[in-house]
Amino acid sequence: MSQSMESPALPPLAGTVPRARPAVSRRALLARRLKPYLYLLPAVVLLGIWMYRPLLYTFYLAFQKWSMIPGTDPIYVGLDNFARLFRNEAFADSIGNTVFYTVGMLPFSILIPLLLASVTDGMSGRAKNVYRAIFFVPMILAPVSVGAIWRWLFHPSNGLVNLVLMKLDAIRQPIAYFSDPDWAKWIILFITGWKMIGFSTLMFSSALTGINREYYEAAAIDGAGRFRTFLRITVPLVSPMILFMLTMSILFASQSTFAYIDILTAGGPYGSSTNVYYEMYKYAFGNLNVGFSAAASLVFFVVFGVIALGLNGLSRRLSFYDN
Amino acid sequence: MQRWTKGTSLIMAIAAAFGLTACGGPNNDPDGAAAAETPSAASEASASSSLPALDPANPTKVTFYSYSLALPTMKAGMEQLIDEFNETAGKEKGVVVEGVPDATFQQYKADISAGKPVDIVQHAFSTLDSSRLSLGFKAYEDVFPKEELDKHLEGISPNALELGKIDGKMYGLAFTFSTPILFINGKLFEEAGLDPNTPPKTWDEVKKAALQIKEKTGKDGFGLAPNNGWTTEGIILSNGGTILSADRKQVEFAGDKSVEAIRMWQDLYHSGAHAVGSDTEVSEQFMAGNLGMLIQSTSMHSGIKKASEAGGWKVYGAGLPQFGDQPSIPVNSGSVLAVRPDSDIKAAAVWEFVKFVTGNRGYTIITSQIGYLPLRTSLADDPNGLKDFVEANPLYRINLDQLSRIHPVAIWPGEYAAEIATAFTDAIVKSVMTDADVKETLTKAQDDINGMLK
Repeated sequence: MSQSMESPALPPLAGTVPRARPAVSRRALLARRLKPYLYLLPAVVLLGIWMYRPLLYTFYLAFQKWSMIPGTDPIYVGLDNFARLFRNEAFADSIGNTVFYTVGMLPFSILIPLLLASVTDGMSGRAKNVYRAIFFVPMILAPVSVGAIWRWLFHPSNGLVNLVLMKLDAIRQPIAYFSDPDWAKWIILFITGWKMIGFSTLMFSSALTGINREYYEAAAIDGAGRFRTFLRITVPLVSPMILFMLTMSILFASQSTFAYIDILTAGGPYGSSTNVYYEMYKYAFGNLNVGFSAAASLVFFVVFGVIALGLNGLSRRLSFYDN
Repeated sequence: MQRWTKGTSLIMAIAAAFGLTACGGPNNDPDGAAAAETPSAASEASASSSLPALDPANPTKVTFYSYSLALPTMKAGMEQLIDEFNETAGKEKGVVVEGVPDATFQQYKADISAGKPVDIVQHAFSTLDSSRLSLGFKAYEDVFPKEELDKHLEGISPNALELGKIDGKMYGLAFTFSTPILFINGKLFEEAGLDPNTPPKTWDEVKKAALQIKEKTGKDGFGLAPNNGWTTEGIILSNGGTILSADRKQVEFAGDKSVEAIRMWQDLYHSGAHAVGSDTEVSEQFMAGNLGMLIQSTSMHSGIKKASEAGGWKVYGAGLPQFGDQPSIPVNSGSVLAVRPDSDIKAAAVWEFVKFVTGNRGYTIITSQIGYLPLRTSLADDPNGLKDFVEANPLYRINLDQLSRIHPVAIWPGEYAAEIATAFTDAIVKSVMTDADVKETLTKAQDDINGMLK
């Protein structure tokens, strides 16, 4: 019986004669070596299908001309797609707008949510949850519904916003917010930002919950005011979350604005509210020029890849962890 | 060991990615042997002296992609057209048509790309050449028997038949069709001291009336969205300008006459009496009773009429305004039926549907229920057709009169049609909405487009 309790990994039981270690068969050894890779296989396959295959395929398509129509083959065009892309003024404008949206989103994804999270963090139980729920509601609304609501509100002749502004004598002529080049991209930014605030507030709230309350008590005893406490304790302790949200905001600003550009302005007027994502979509699915779209995607991939690596490095250097 | 592990994982990841890439690429497509950029799907059907017989017991299914099915003002009429075909001619011959709403002309492209059967498309005029080249749409002469085709086309306005022709072949049969109309809100006109029965004829009169409406009622006098996309061409042509060269090899919309026409519009836009907003927003403003005059397609008539009845005002109409004493040259809006049957039996089924919807009954439904023009113009005088309807809605008479001087809307050349259409519209929007130099803006767009076409 005692024999059966022996493990090859443990020393032999007292009183027993040491035995020679049984030879492990080649098959068992192979199985043992392959085991971790078998565990990895589902993840690798899924990543392969959904991430790396399209990525590699995009590299391939960037040098082809193809309309995606079944029965047709891509035609190799070398660097022609890139040459046309860099000559295309609409693409250059869309890059400018992408930078505008990316920078413009930062107050909505970091500054305002951090303040809202800090203010609501100091509230008592029920009020805190009610406020946070109100901030979060826009996040769970479908972009199409949100687009329709804002379209009605900002309608040039029948919309509430113009009506109120004209009643208050703030404007004399109604503004066509989605058709006016001076307004269109600001409104798109505002709507996207409004929707983003809820998510970021939730993320910062969860980060704030993890801060040890004793720091605040100690600071209060030392006579620190609310602003100083926020600056010296809250901000450093939520710095990993700030950098995470910074990365998220920069990398996803273009994606977040896409739906509202498509629904509300279609990139107009004369391309003044479009961004790189929307142009890529138009090239591929509007103009059926998937090679041109892939070339734009590749440029976008390289630029944002460099930004992501930079932010990763920044995150490692600037984040402060309260271990 | 660690190196071995790292190496193995890297090889596995790369093998998985490449393996997956290889298993779905276009080169593995069994049809891939087809010539590059030559769609094989539509090449099977060919014109023959007769089409194969359909079997009513085993009906052939045909898909019909339609933007009218997706627009609230047109949906009911288009559904009636499809349902009536399925219940009558379709049932009798053995064809079932499935309507697919396609509001933005994207669904049919996506479905063709995905390999789904896309048999008939309610297609816009401006991008027909691009679709012909890249999406496998077929010329009617190549798919349907000549005798039957000639017989069916009798009675359709010859001007209209020219609209869907490219290089002498009909790639689209004009289907829903209208000219631009100056819709008038009778109530606002009367409040401003104007008579809706003697509407403005020239652009100068339009501006004068618009300013008077603004002054007396506080509402905007006139609306035409700079991004309307098609009426713009009518304005340029009416002043003697041009859009495309006769050989369709280059655009020429930056000539002096074209620039003069757009400058007139720029002046009207900045007069303080012009509505602002997109095409949809300006139309909504008119339907809400907050705009004196609107230039829009008659396809909006049913929606506008309902809105006017609900708002307690009467809608009047006039033709596209003219420059001085030169009669205006309106362009057409609307669509053609573009077809891509992939077999002879599909071609026979598609032909049955095309015959029905562009026949007498089809146009009676299209005109009375949606608002487009009957391309079989004799229907307007036919007591069994649309005589009563046209008498009750005199606005259609204006539209039918404009047919005699209509000019086809530009079919932008080649594979960059979508880019060209966008560049043209963007230049017009910029010229009209801002104080940009019209000549400079249009010349730059013209040069960019011609560069693309080289």
